[in-house]
Formats: sequence, C-alpha cells, structure tokens
Amino acid sequence: MSNTENVSGQQELDAAELLSTHVIRAVGVRKTYQLGGEAVHALKGVNLSVERGEYVSIMGPSGSGKSTLFNMIGGLDKPDAGQVFIDEVDIAALDTFELAWLRCHKIGYIFQTFNLIPVASALENVMMPMLFGGMPEADAQDKAASLLEKVGLGHRVFHKPNQLSGGQQQRVAVARALANDPAIILADEPTGNLDLHTGEEIIRMLEALKDDFQVTIITATHDHKMLAASDRVVYLTDGEITDIKSRDELHIQVGTIAGAEQ
Amino acid sequence: MKKQSPQGASASSAAGRRRVQRQRQLSFQKAVQIAWRNIRQRLGRSLLVTIGIILALAFLTYILYSDTITRAALRGGSPALLDSLARRGMTTVNDADARIQTRWMLGLALLVSFVGILNSMLLSVTERFKEIGTMKCLGALDSLIVELFLLESTFQGLVGTVAGILIGVALALSEGARVYGAEMWELLPVGALFRLLGICVLVGVGLTVVAALYPAWRAAKMEPVEAMRSEV
Ligand SMILES: Nc1ncnc2c1ncn2[C@@H]1O[C@H](COP(=O)(O)OP(=O)(O)OP(=O)(O)O)[C@@H](O)[C@H]1O
Ligand SMILES: [Mg+2]
Repeated sequence: MSNTENVSGQQELDAAELLSTHVIRAVGVRKTYQLGGEAVHALKGVNLSVERGEYVSIMGPSGSGKSTLFNMIGGLDKPDAGQVFIDEVDIAALDTFELAWLRCHKIGYIFQTFNLIPVASALENVMMPMLFGGMPEADAQDKAASLLEKVGLGHRVFHKPNQLSGGQQQRVAVARALANDPAIILADEPTGNLDLHTGEEIIRMLEALKDDFQVTIITATHDHKMLAASDRVVYLTDGEITDIKSRDELHIQVGTIAGAEQ
Repeated sequence: MKKQSPQGASASSAAGRRRVQRQRQLSFQKAVQIAWRNIRQRLGRSLLVTIGIILALAFLTYILYSDTITRAALRGGSPALLDSLARRGMTTVNDADARIQTRWMLGLALLVSFVGILNSMLLSVTERFKEIGTMKCLGALDSLIVELFLLESTFQGLVGTVAGILIGVALALSEGARVYGAEMWELLPVGALFRLLGICVLVGVGLTVVAALYPAWRAAKMEPVEAMRSEV
C-alpha cells in the first residue's frame, strides 16, 4: 500500500506540471465484473501515473487484472469508479466519435494475438489506421512502407499475415501501432505467443522505437525476462498495485533472479 | 455507476477536450474498396451467400416469366397453337388454386433464402469479432462497420441476383420454346418481361440488404475490448 500512496502522491504536484509530463493517469480505478451472480473485483482502486517517454511494464500473475487495467487506460472500457486521463483528458467525458479519434491518433495497440486483418497485406494493415485518420492514400502508403522498413520488413510489404511468421506478424503490428504517431503504445503481453528469442527481439525493437518516435510504452507481461527494457515495473496482484520498481532496483532483482536460476 | 468528474478534473478535461477531435467518417470510396477486398479474399463464405440468392432469384424469375409467357400464349396464340395446347389439356393459365400454391412456394423460397443469408452473415460477423474489434481499436467508427457489412451484402446480392435472373430467364424461355414452339418468340410480351426484370432485381438486392441489417448492427455494437481477448 505504501507504494501506491507513493504513486498517488504525485498527483498532488503542480497541475501544470502534470499536464506536461503525465501521459496517463489512473485515479482510484475500480472494475467489478459480474460472473454468474458473483462479483469479481478485477481492479480494486488502482492509482498509476505514467510519464511521457517512459517504458512501463505491468507484471502480475494471470487474473491479476493486467488486461482490465489495459482496457481502461487504452480507452476501450470505462471504469466503474475512478478516472482515467489520457493526455490529461478524462476519457469518461468523451463521446464515441472522440473516443474513436483518441484510439486512432493517441494510442497504438499491440495484441498478444497480433490481430492483423487477415485479408489485408502487411502494407494495407499498416495503412489502415492512417486511412481511418483521414490521411490521403498515397501518403499513407509511403509512410506505411517506411514504417515496415523500420521494423525490418521492407521486403515483405505485400505478404498477407498468414504468409508471415509470428514474429514478423508482430513486427507488422508494431509498425501499425506507430502509424499515426501515437503518444502511447499499449502492448498486452506482446510476446505471449512468441518464443523467447523472438519475444526479446520485439521488446528490444520497442525499446529502440520508443526513443525514435518519442512514444510512451506500456506493456503487460508475466515473464521476468521481458522486463529488461522497462524504466519502471508495476506489480499488480489481485487487482491492486503491490509494488513499483524503477530501472535501477530492477537490475539488481533481475540479476538475483538470473543468479538464482543458474 | 456513471460518475461526474470532480471539479479539479473537469478543468483539465475542458482543456483536454480541445486536444481531442471527433473522428470523421471514412470516404465512401475507401469503404467500397475495403468491402470489395473482404469479398474477394473470402470468396468461399461470399459464395455461400451468393448461391442462396442465385437459387431464390432463379426460382422467382422462372415462375414469374413462365406465368407471363403462358398467359401471353393463351391470349394471343394462333388457333393451331391453342388447338395443340387444348389437346394437351392446357386451356387456362392457372386456376386460382394453382396460383395460390405458386405464391406460397415463392414466398417460402424467398423466406428460406432470406434466413440463409441472415445466417451466413451472422456467421461471418461472429468469425470476424476479433477483426471488427481490432478495426475499432484502430479508429473505425460504428457507422463504418455497418457500411462495410451492408456494402459486402450489396455486392453479393447484386452478383447473386444477376446470376439468378439469368438462370431463371433461360429456364423459362427454353421451356416456353419447348411448349409453344417457335411461335413463342413472336408472342413474348417484351415490355412486361422487362418490368418483371426490374422487380426481380429489386427483390434480390433488397432481400440481401435487409437480411444484412441485423448482422451489420450486431457487428457495429461489438466492443473493441473483444480484440484483446486472447482466445481463438
Ligand atoms: N469480461 C469479463 N467478465 C467477467 N470477469 C472478467 C472479465 N474480464 C476479466 N474478468 C476477471 O477479472 C480478473 C482479471 O482479469 P484480467 O483479464 O484483467 O487478468 P490478466 O492479469 O490480464 O490475466 P492474464 O495474464 O491471464 O491475461 C479475472 O479474475 C477475470 O476472471
Ligand atoms: Mg490478460
């Protein structure tokens, strides 16, 4: 609990500073699901602030509420209580058109199951958010091609998702997430369906792109090996933040874990 | 459970509102392109819907056309033709009973094809839950999802209708030629047949689009959260 207070304590800082640095702010977020008459408290009052340009990993066992938290801060679902601010905009105040705009321009989603549009080529997949955002086709095509180049798939632009390996599909998804120069990339277990090596490649690529695109990255994982790129790790247990570790503290911990495993 | 922003937050959200714009509708032309790609790439599923329309429309056109041709023959046929028809027991077009029966069959055929299309479309919506959710995450509006499904069904409806009408017309004409001989071609009520053609096109496309309304609405109502589900 002391750690969560530490996080929420930041909210008492100067409002102007908050405006400029906090790209995501979750305040007392609660979510309860009804499952067969029984209440499942997926989130029990989560406070979390993420700074612009940070790489935050959310760690927690299965069922701890990572995906639920993601849906909230991704503007995909609304909390039962509490507030979520994306770029200091309370998402509860937005109508469907504004939410769609927010999802299109502010957030890039990366999914565990890649979620590429199966009938569309890699290029068309990356173009899609740009077209939805109103970019002219020719510009979208150029930008998509250069993004695919950046993720190392310049030679596969016309391939369909089913002609690509899992790692390659996730690269396309990364390019697609960057399409509209979002402020935030949300990746819910982006390496969950990849082998260790490919997963690490994706994480390292995200880390490199983070600086290139000046984007904030939030990922969820339950694999300690995927934490290497994180500036901060938020530990979620049973719908509550139980611990937050900065990068420095992390290195010691990763070291000890690696040592313990050998 | 809906709550109002506390004062502190409403100030910042008012400031933030300026930074959030309203998502605009994708151009119709782009929507047509995407719908067309969906059809082309999912030919199997598309054909299933289309075949249902073809069968229903072939049946509808065949019934309407043979009925019209028969009546034209009985009304304007040469004495020799009427004589030969009478010998085969064909003196009146259709008695009331037979006409009602035909209408029932027509109604049933259209209903069956309607349900078939509805079912196929619902299946295709369910199959694409994740895809629809993903598109919403990428910024697609509900109205775009509806538009895409309606466009897809319109394409399928048009193709199925044209094919069904061609088959129905061919069947009715070849049967007419068999029964009434070469004389049929002179008797053909061209104007009436063209009017029927228009009706058949309307019925075919209308049937498909109406059957697609509910599935399209279901698709649009899909929550983007669905895209996050890891199953499937
Ligand atoms: N739509 C839903 N209906 C009912 N209960 C749900 C729903 N979504 C999540 N839950 C419940 O909320 C809790 C948190 O789920 P969540 O998916 O956020 O966990 P997670 O940390 O992402 O787990 P995993 O690592 O397995 O993805 C779980 O107990 C889950 O059963
Ligand atoms: Mg999850």
